[in-house]
Amino acid sequence: MTDKPPPISDTEHAILATDLGVQYSLRFSRKKSVQRTLSQMMTRTPAEQFWALRHVSLRVVHGESLAVIGPNGAGKSTLLQVLAGIIRPSEGWVDVRGHVSALLTLGAGFDSELTGRENILLAGAFLGLDDTMVRELLPAVVEYADLGQFIDAPLKTYSSGMRARLGFAIATSVDPDVLLLDEVLATGDAEFREKSKARVLELVRGAKAVVLVTHDMTWVREYCNRAILIQHGQVVLEGEPEEVVEAHRRHMDEERKRHASEAAAAGLAPVIAARPR
Amino acid sequence: MSATSEAPAGFRNTAASPGPFALLAEAVRDVLSRRRLVRYLVEAEVKKRGANTILGNIWWVLDPLLLMLVYVLLVTIIARRPVPDYPLFIFATILPWKFFTSAVIDATSSVVSQQRLIRQIAFPKILLPVAATTAGVVGFAFGLIPLALIMLLYLDRLSPLILLIPVIAAVQYVFTLGVALLVAAGNVYVRDLGNLNGHLLRVWWYLSPGLYSLSQLEELSFFRENPILGTIAAANPFAVLFEAYRRVIYGTPDGPPMAPDWNSLGVLLVLSTIFLAVAAMFFKRLEPTFAKVL
Repeated sequence: MTDKPPPISDTEHAILATDLGVQYSLRFSRKKSVQRTLSQMMTRTPAEQFWALRHVSLRVVHGESLAVIGPNGAGKSTLLQVLAGIIRPSEGWVDVRGHVSALLTLGAGFDSELTGRENILLAGAFLGLDDTMVRELLPAVVEYADLGQFIDAPLKTYSSGMRARLGFAIATSVDPDVLLLDEVLATGDAEFREKSKARVLELVRGAKAVVLVTHDMTWVREYCNRAILIQHGQVVLEGEPEEVVEAHRRHMDEERKRHASEAAAAGLAPVIAARPR
Repeated sequence: MSATSEAPAGFRNTAASPGPFALLAEAVRDVLSRRRLVRYLVEAEVKKRGANTILGNIWWVLDPLLLMLVYVLLVTIIARRPVPDYPLFIFATILPWKFFTSAVIDATSSVVSQQRLIRQIAFPKILLPVAATTAGVVGFAFGLIPLALIMLLYLDRLSPLILLIPVIAAVQYVFTLGVALLVAAGNVYVRDLGNLNGHLLRVWWYLSPGLYSLSQLEELSFFRENPILGTIAAANPFAVLFEAYRRVIYGTPDGPPMAPDWNSLGVLLVLSTIFLAVAAMFFKRLEPTFAKVL
């Protein structure tokens, strides 16, 4: 495997990932203090390495909508982070063409001391959007988020639903070429959920590439034209949404049964039954 | 509407990390192309600092004044024979020191406090400590108001040389930014920095000629016997900066203001620039790992 990306002859792709691998070193991950780091160095504990993703290759062309499904902790979100350019792969390479918008978790980077309006400008700057464009978009975002006079109040006065609406309105204000979605469809009240679903569909239909991480299998079946199943950081299946969803469902069922039988084998059930009254 | 943006359209990422000079060039590009974000972050910081207090942004003015008052009382009681016009003597160094400490302390938490954002949006993280340092400049500029007020009491010490303050502050900015980049990146890996740097800064302040001058130090018998100590004390970047500020604002105990020592200031500028470049490389080297470690 080489670090140098091969020349790309195919110009159609929006996303091309080859042999992606993301490795986490558990030595430095999470809040650590000198005390623990030193004690590890003293005892020469080898740094534990962990591959969140390995040997993942995928190609998404324009107009395609790819669903990424898999159990919790399989590496789905890590994959999106790599595609969004947030995490650099430890192995392999990724090539993304066009402007990427990642609707990961909404409302990140909001500053609760600033007003809604100021937060829109700040978020736009974080996203790297052109300032004149953000100012042009501002009225539309304000209207869409439906915050009324709260738009000029500090964000700390907002309810969580209002925050979510503002986050969604900002994140979807610009039509990206490549849209990355991570379970954002279930925010806000029922009414806003409908509205946001409609907007996401609009973005999805905008003939741009979409990569969607979700546990909502109805979405996968209805709006994606391809799906991949990730388990333990590897792509185990790629194909028609229907087929992949079915495989995932079967797998989850098996897991559940296995857990149940393991629990039974470990004698959990009898213990509960034999508990003295 | 299609996106027009300051961020590049598309990207290509591999495991390979660019060389040190490519990293440095990238750091410069990051800051130049995204300077509007720096501006917004600085504005937000300025706005927030006064947000939850009754006096609001008046604290920018009051804070250095109160600090000066404490030191004047302390030194007058302990030393009993302070140098003439002592309030101005120490205010000339309290002001730049506050610039430094607020920049360093804000920078330490600048990256860590944005961990949610860093895990969700790809943007140049180097802007965060740059914004923290630049917010320190704003505080410094506000501090010129109380300086002007104090100056009214010592009009005989006022001279056009005071206009050199921004030149000295520019040198200080370069040095401060280097420190800010180091602590911001370091704190991601070693959170103890946040606890430690308050104490380190305090020690640094007392070791720097802020409450006293270098010449006072050299008069001590201890220093006369060990001339090396004087050399070490003068090598402190803040010895150079404080002496320069004091020369243009205060002068000497029995003389009017004079031009700063350009030689030592120039040397400090060159060394600080090299230091800043190394710190920027260090930051850029660690930057790709932030999203994973935070």
